[in-house]
Parts: sequence; C-alpha cells; structure tokens
Amino acid sequence: MSKDENEDEMVGYRQQPGKLPFAKPGSGGKDRFSRPTDQEMIPESQGGELAQPWGSHRHDNLVSGQVIGKATALVDGRWKVTGQAQYGDDIRLPGELIGRIIRSPHHYARVLSVDFSKALEVPGVVAIATGADAENKFGVLPVTKDEHAMAVEKVRHVGDLVACVAAEDEATAREAERLIEVEYEILDSIHDMRDGLQDSDLPIHDRGKYHIGEANVQKRVFQEFGDVDGIEENAIASHKENWLFAGVNHAATEPHAVVANWDPAGRLTLYTPQQVPHYVHRALADVLEIPMHQINVHRTFVGGGFGGKSDPFPHEMCSAILARKSGRPVRITFDREEVYWINRGRHPSRIEMNLHADSQGRICGIETDALIDGGGFASFGHVTTYYNGVLHTAPYEIGAFHYTGARVWTNKPASGAMRGHGAVNSRCAVETGLDDLAEKLSVDPIDLRLANLLPPHSATITGFRVTSIGMRECLERVKKESGWDEKFRKMPLGKGIGIGCGFFISGSGLPIHWDPNKFPHATVHLKIDMDGGVTVHTGAAEIGQGSDTVVAQSVAEVLGLPLDLIRIRSKESDTSPVDLGSYSSRVTFMNANAAISAAMQIRDELLDATAEITGAKREKLVIGDRRIFAKNDPAVGVSYLEALHKAQEDRGALVASGAYRTPPMGRTHKGAAAGLAPAYSFSAYVAEVSVDVETGQTKVEKVWAAHDCGKALNPLAVKGQIIGSCHMGMGQVLSEEMKYGRSGHLMNPDLLDYKIPSVHEMPEVVPIIVESNDPEGPFGAKEAGEGPLLPILPAVCNAVYDAVGVRTAELPITPERLLRIIERKCKAEGVDDPIKLPSPRLEYSELQAVLSKRAEEHAKRDLERRLNDNRQPYHNGALFGLDPTTPPDEVDQKWAVNVIPSEEYLSDPRLAGSAWKHTERRHRGDS
Amino acid sequence: MVQHRLPMIPSAGEVSWVASINGVKKQLNIENNAILLDVLRDKAGSLGTKRGCDMGTCGCCSVLINGEPRLSCLTLAAEAEGYEITTVEGLADGHHLHPIQEMFAECGGSQCGFCTPGFLVVSSALLEENPSPSDEEIKTAIEGNLCRCTGYQQIVDSVRAASAILTSGESVEDSTSPKSDPHPGFSGE
Ligand code: FES
Ligand code: FES
Repeated sequence: MSKDENEDEMVGYRQQPGKLPFAKPGSGGKDRFSRPTDQEMIPESQGGELAQPWGSHRHDNLVSGQVIGKATALVDGRWKVTGQAQYGDDIRLPGELIGRIIRSPHHYARVLSVDFSKALEVPGVVAIATGADAENKFGVLPVTKDEHAMAVEKVRHVGDLVACVAAEDEATAREAERLIEVEYEILDSIHDMRDGLQDSDLPIHDRGKYHIGEANVQKRVFQEFGDVDGIEENAIASHKENWLFAGVNHAATEPHAVVANWDPAGRLTLYTPQQVPHYVHRALADVLEIPMHQINVHRTFVGGGFGGKSDPFPHEMCSAILARKSGRPVRITFDREEVYWINRGRHPSRIEMNLHADSQGRICGIETDALIDGGGFASFGHVTTYYNGVLHTAPYEIGAFHYTGARVWTNKPASGAMRGHGAVNSRCAVETGLDDLAEKLSVDPIDLRLANLLPPHSATITGFRVTSIGMRECLERVKKESGWDEKFRKMPLGKGIGIGCGFFISGSGLPIHWDPNKFPHATVHLKIDMDGGVTVHTGAAEIGQGSDTVVAQSVAEVLGLPLDLIRIRSKESDTSPVDLGSYSSRVTFMNANAAISAAMQIRDELLDATAEITGAKREKLVIGDRRIFAKNDPAVGVSYLEALHKAQEDRGALVASGAYRTPPMGRTHKGAAAGLAPAYSFSAYVAEVSVDVETGQTKVEKVWAAHDCGKALNPLAVKGQIIGSCHMGMGQVLSEEMKYGRSGHLMNPDLLDYKIPSVHEMPEVVPIIVESNDPEGPFGAKEAGEGPLLPILPAVCNAVYDAVGVRTAELPITPERLLRIIERKCKAEGVDDPIKLPSPRLEYSELQAVLSKRAEEHAKRDLERRLNDNRQPYHNGALFGLDPTTPPDEVDQKWAVNVIPSEEYLSDPRLAGSAWKHTERRHRGDS
Repeated sequence: MVQHRLPMIPSAGEVSWVASINGVKKQLNIENNAILLDVLRDKAGSLGTKRGCDMGTCGCCSVLINGEPRLSCLTLAAEAEGYEITTVEGLADGHHLHPIQEMFAECGGSQCGFCTPGFLVVSSALLEENPSPSDEEIKTAIEGNLCRCTGYQQIVDSVRAASAILTSGESVEDSTSPKSDPHPGFSGE
C-alpha cells in the first residue's frame, strides 16, 4: 500500500540527533541544536500544555513556542540604553540651520503686518517665512482642516505661530526672532468654554455655510438610544453631578523637534518624532503643493507620544518651508514651554452626569452632557466629541442612553487626543456615579457592576459589536486580591478603598483619512534572503510602546525563529508600507494581524519546501525552533535554512505582504462609526488611598490593576503599559492641571508647576493580566496602551470618598480643593475638627441579594457564551426583558434611536445640549 | 512669553575648555558662558545626553561629574572644567553593556527611552557607591528624574536586577558575539 496510509512510515530525509548533514552558506552561530518545543507554550488545542480556559483561537496552529506570551525585552532597547537612539533633536545633518518660531503673545488678534527686514540683516540669518509662504490648510481630520503653517490673517491663542526663521546657530535665530516686528490688532478673546456656546461677533474660525449659528461651536452631538422617556418612571435612585475637569498635557519627556532636508534630486525628507507619520506625509503634500511621492517621512525615535505627537504640526511645515527657502537642512527643537503651546492634551471639560437605577438594580438610564474646550483648533476634536459619550455605553447593559456633547473653540492652545482619548473624563464621571448609586441603593459597588455586565459577543446600546469581554474576571480578580470585602466601608477615617472600571477601543473601525473599502488599515512586508534573516517592513510607529517588538514577535512565532533573526525597518515611508499610525490603540491588533498574515505566506512556502525535501506529508509538518519536522517523528525534518534555500531555488528571496482590514460592523445612524472597533479592552482597578483630613493631602498607597488585553503577547510590555497608565491617570486625578489665570494666560507651561508624579508619589501597582482570547485579535490579543488609564481616576475618587466621606467633582483633587470640601462637610455635620468626621459605612439593603444572585447567573451565562461557538446574538436590552436576538428598537416602540434633538428638548437643554439651539448657516434664510 | 533657554547673558567670547569626557581628554573652544548640556550635545557629540526642560526639572540631562550626578542643563561648562565627565555613552565597556544598561533593556526600565540616559547615569552612580541598595534608596537616588512612560516600577526593578548582577560579579555578554544559527542540528527531543 502507499505510504500515505501508514502514518508511522516516514521515508526519505531522516536526520540523526546532533548531526548536521552539511554546512550551508548563511549558517553558523550559537545554539547549534534546535531547542525541543516548549510544550507549555503550545495551546491545548494543538496537543500542548497551555491551558485555554477561554477556548481555542484561529492562530493556535501558528504557535511554535518561541516568544509569544513570554516577557520580551524591546527589540530596540539596546539603542536606548546606550544613548544611540536618535530622537528628533539628535538628527544632525551637515550644514544644518537652526529654526526658531515666532509666536503670538496675544490670545486673539489680527496679524496686520510682519516686518522682518531688520532680522534679515543680522549676519547668519538665512531664511524667514511667514503665513504668506504657505496658505493651504491642513489638519489631522479631513473634515476639519483648519490649521496653517503660520498665521494667515489671525492668531488664535498665545503661542500660535506667526513666522519662522532659520539661522546659522541658535543664538542668531533667537536674535532674529526678537527683531521680527509684528503688528497686531487685538481682538476680544474668549476663555471660558461656556462662552463658546454663545453667538460671537467674530468666531475663532469660520466654517462657511456649515457654521453653527455665529457661535464658537466646532462640533455638536445629540444621541438618544433606548427607553429614554421611561427613565424617570423606572428609576428608584438617581445620581447627578456636575464635573469640571482641568486640561491635561501629555508631558512627554521629549519636546517636539523636527529636521527637514531637501535632497539634490528635490525630494524632501522630514525627520520627526511622530506617532502618525502618514498623516504628516499627506499634510506636507497639501501645504507644500508637491505630490506625496516627493516626500520621505522618516520617523525618528519618539520620546513619548501619548497622543501629543499624533497631529501633523505646523512646526513640521515650517522646517520644510525654511529648508526649501534656504537650500539647507533646518532643525527646529521646542523649548519645554512650546510643548504647551502646541498642546493637543486632554480637553478641559464640563460634564453633567446623570445615572439612574431601577428597582432591580439595573442601570435604566445614563444621561451625559459634555462640553469640551477645544482651544484654538479642531485637531481630533470631532472624534473626541463623540467619544465623550459613546465610549461609556459599555461594559454595562443599560436601559437608556442620552448624550449631548459639544466642542467649542476658545483662545487657548488646542486640545486634542491624549491617552484614553475622549473616554477618560466621562468614564470618571460614570464610575464615580455608579459608586454613588450603590451608596444610595445600599449595595456593594462591585456587585452592582457584576450584575449589570454585557455578556461576551453582544451589541451595545449604540450597536457596537463587542466580541471578547474579560470585565467580570477583572472585577473578580481585583476584588479578591485587594481584600475588598474586608476593607470597603470598614476602614478608619482617612483610609479608603475604591473601584473603577474602563472600556476602550482596540483600534478604530473606520479610520480617518481612509476609504476602508480600498485600502487596508495596516500592511506588513517581509523579505527573507539566503542568510535567513527576516526583514520586516512596517509603517507602524514605534513610540516606546513596543510595536516593533510585537511585530517581530509575531513573525518570529509563526516562523519558529529566535528574535535575533528578525530585523525591523519601520522608520521611513520610502521603505515602509503605509500604516495609519500609533493612535486609538490600534497597532498591536491591526499590525500584528497584518504581520501574521504575511508570515503565514512564508510559512506555507517553507512547509511546501520541507515536504518536497523530506517526502513527508505537508499536513504532518510542524514548525519548531529553527526546524521544520514531522509532528510524530521529529527526526524527519530539515533546518529552517535548508527549507528556505529550497523555497528560494527558483525565485530568490522570499517576499510577502500581509494586510489587515476591519470586518464590516456597526449601525447606520449619524455618528455610528465613532467608537466602532474590531475589539474592546476592559479593565477594573481597586485603589487604596490615605487622606490627611487636616491638610487634604491624598496619597495613593496601592493599586490592584486588572486589564483584559485578550492575550498578553509580551507580558513585560503589558505590565509596563498598565503601570505607566496608572502614573499618567494618577497625575490627572491628583496633581496635573493646565492652569489658566484670570486673563486667560497659561500659568504653568513647565514641568515645575505642571506636576507629573515623581517616583515618590507612585504607589505600588499590582498589574493583573486577564486574557479573554479575542477571536479576531492576533493570537487573541487586544490593546493595552490606553484602556488601563481609565479606571485609575474614578478608583481614586471613590477611595477618597471611602476615606473621608466627601465627593469631589473637580479634578485634580489638590489638597486645597479637598480641604475646602472637607471643611464644608465639617460645617454641615457640625463637627469642629475634621478628625471627628464619621467614616462612611455600608449596611446592605435587600437589593444586595438580588444583585448577587443575578451576578451569579450572569457568570454562568457568560461562560457558556464565550465557550459556545453557536451562540445567539445578544443585544443590549435583554436585561430589561426584550428579545436578545433583535435590536430593541426594531421590536419595541419605546426604544429610540435618535440623533436630532426634539423641539421639546430644545426648550430646556442642558449646557452642551444648548449648542443645538443654533442653526447652521446653510439652513438659515439669511445667508 | 518667558524664554527658559540659557544663556541669557551675552557671552564674553570663546575660550578654550578642557575636560575628560568618558575617559577621553577633550579640548574644545566654547563660549565662556556655555551650558554644559549644550557643550556635550553640540560640541562633544554626546547626543545621548538628553534635553527635556532646560530648567532642572526632568533629569534627562543628568551626567556624572567626577562620579557625582549633576544636571548638565544647570551647570556652566566652566564649572566642569578639568573634571571627569561621564555620560550615558561612557557606561558600557566596549560592547559589554554595564549591567544597569542591560537590565533597563531587559526589565522594562526603558519604554520610549528618552529619560533612560538620565536614569542610567544616576543609578550607575548609586550602584557604584552602594552595590546593593534597598528600594527606598533606589527611589531616593532617582527622585530627581521624571519618567512619563514606565511609572517607575520597572525602573526600580531594573536597578534591583542590576544590583544583583553586580554583586554576583557576572558580566554582561559581548553584544557582538554570534547570534542564533539558522541551520541547527536536530536535538533528538
Ligand atoms: S534638561 Fe536638565 S533637568 Fe531637564
Ligand atoms: S521611558 Fe519614556 S519617559 Fe521614561
């Protein structure tokens, strides 16, 4: 009979242990024997020992036991620790000039004239440019391009760009800066975001026929889902709070810097520490009026991004313009102060949060009104306005959602995207609100959450498709590890513990600047020549989060190679395929998926070649450490290099291209795309704090931080992201604030008065990784870079309440603020000394048992849903008795989907909602 | 607007300046009021020494002057004249990284890496003086350095791990030693 029928009878190529059949060009080096496969890394579904409590995954058969899931040092770490990593200001080209930017000293003014004749006379000054040199607009979102390289007509905030100069050295450039005379006509500026809602004589921008009234409203959103009208009738307890969140800056340690150089062939290379090189690429083409192929964007090492380096920036345009004018490379580096002028930090926000619970302890309504202060430009603000609402429609199943949001222009440095984009402030308001609701219902706040979670593979009230959910496990883990039951509402005055949760997108489903039907979100190219090293070309921006490492790991895992055989080329647009950049936590999910699909093509070729050499059946072959062999007889096999050379016989180097595109998803109402993601991350934190009731000083003592990242491809990096997120969130909740004085001037544009936590303020953080095995994520992974920031703010706020019994609705919780609230509380309680204040205590109501029971039932439901492939659809609303298989608005008249406010609403709108009182110019008769 | 960048006083002209940088004696012509950070970055080629704030708040510019950690942005070059200056580039012994460098790379002490040179320099001085510091001592040593990425925890882990290597007397592998063989033999598993 043929050999096919007898599994054991492998013929042909059999290698004796230890023996290398023959030397090969390209071989040599250490570890001359293939390591036996580490069965603990091989998933159970493949016959290994890696337990899979969340079921199997479509990438299980690609696991070779190399690197995925193991703590892995960053592949570019050696450059960083030796000082050889080149950041923006480290690019020094021969013949470089130093550029400086002339900035507005006024909040809002018309630029009448710029006279640079004196400056040009200074010896060593080579070129000067003004707004007239580049009048085309740009901006990160194509719908809201409102920036110029330098002021055309008006400046919109202190620090706005007016002109720029390039000189032989910095001192000369600064001298020229001083001599440039600008004549301004000062205009009435606005600083309070509430004023932005009013009609103005001269709005900060003019949107033409799309302008909303004559106001400074840049974007407004109205959304109603579910049984909004029924909220009042159903609710037995309600929470209402008016929040004020200060603006926050990314405060990356590296100030922005850029170098531009036009080569002799007339092509521009722009060296810039960018999170999103591709958008800069587009913007440069627009502003300089040259085709994109004439530009090479070179991403340098990035000294911290966090969203602060994700817009195309005017100074990047300036350096290109100056370099073009002068014929020499131009380097511009910011002073720390300038970082605050360009800002793009978290929006100062006024958020009104209303939460309602019904008699079953269900969240029967969330009503949010968010007014956010965009400063002088649009930046990512269009999206931020949506995110402030839609990103808190999960992880809870809710009965109704009402959101009004507005973003206004004011004469401040522009706000933009910052880690946890748009979700952080409103999430803080929701989670502290839930704590208050639990207090009002006399139930445990963790149980309240556990009894109201959406199950895996469900749809939110806004129609987001949620796949894997590890929320329940996150809550259970932090509850257990923190000793919650022994501490909550049981500690003495001044000691407190609090819970907070988070939910965040893992990549955005509909990318800005992109036609999703025509282009992928991420592309990865591989090239392997006879030496066996794998060159990976990817455009994903490594910003310290480890994106180079994760793509290297993915390729290494699929091909069974140690990381030292992988080299990443991710810096230049000339050689890297387009990637949409490092924002919205998209890189691991999308780029690693693209890398896997490219590596799978190479893997197929290697397997074919091995089958040909050994005569073994292809389906029987597996990839191990640098060897490809028959699963049931490892002696039948070849080295990686042998297989590679065989595959190269006819065509030379192997090349492959892999790409990732999101599946179709979501609904169709206006704004339905905002917040759509191929997967979502979940997190729950418990923070323990001590508060000095006599000084108002809060110290976070310990944080238990559970984050569901699907699968930790690199646990070391995931933990680093969790702890780092805690740091940044702690800064916002306790000390960080962009302080504007009475005249609207930013008072703390430096790291002395803008206080980010030092090592002494950092508590011990216990990172807890929950792996919910996302079906579409690479090896099951989801994001870990931004989501972990969200829960720390409310966890700390709630812990402060547990400690002293007061709630604050203004961040940061500085000692002065907290002390004022404590004093008020003392007065109200009639105690003369704050140390006599009572600590909050909890006595369960009957509802507690209802919630515990439901949580238990839901835990079973969730387990079933996550392991069963034949699951029914589950739409938000089922908890309220509706058919889970159909969107409620299709079966129940009461369930609304509404994106236009009614006349009735407009008769008494909330703050941000009042933006809808204006009519767009095109809909008014008068224009 | 305030200008933080020094020097604000006009210089009285160039002077010749001598110092030993990472063990190499350098003679440079510098403005007599030049800031050490500028001299290191712009004249001495130590681009590993980072500029984060120019006002002593971030610690990115830390260097060792005669073994003592100093903020080079707050130091006049003239003050360091004739001294031994060590920057991040001077920590490794050829291709043998200093254990503190190796451990920052291995234990997550460096994410974006911009603060890393400052932390390395400061903690190498700590370990020089106190090869097995407690966590509190590590924290005190790095209190003047800001890191926006790591939340410091893995930085402290890295210093602790380096201290373990140093006290055990091991040395870090030469980074130029051969890498994995792509044509390995069968181990007979
Ligand atoms: S640059 Fe010296 S402390 Fe920041
Ligand atoms: S690693 Fe980025 S600032 Fe420390």
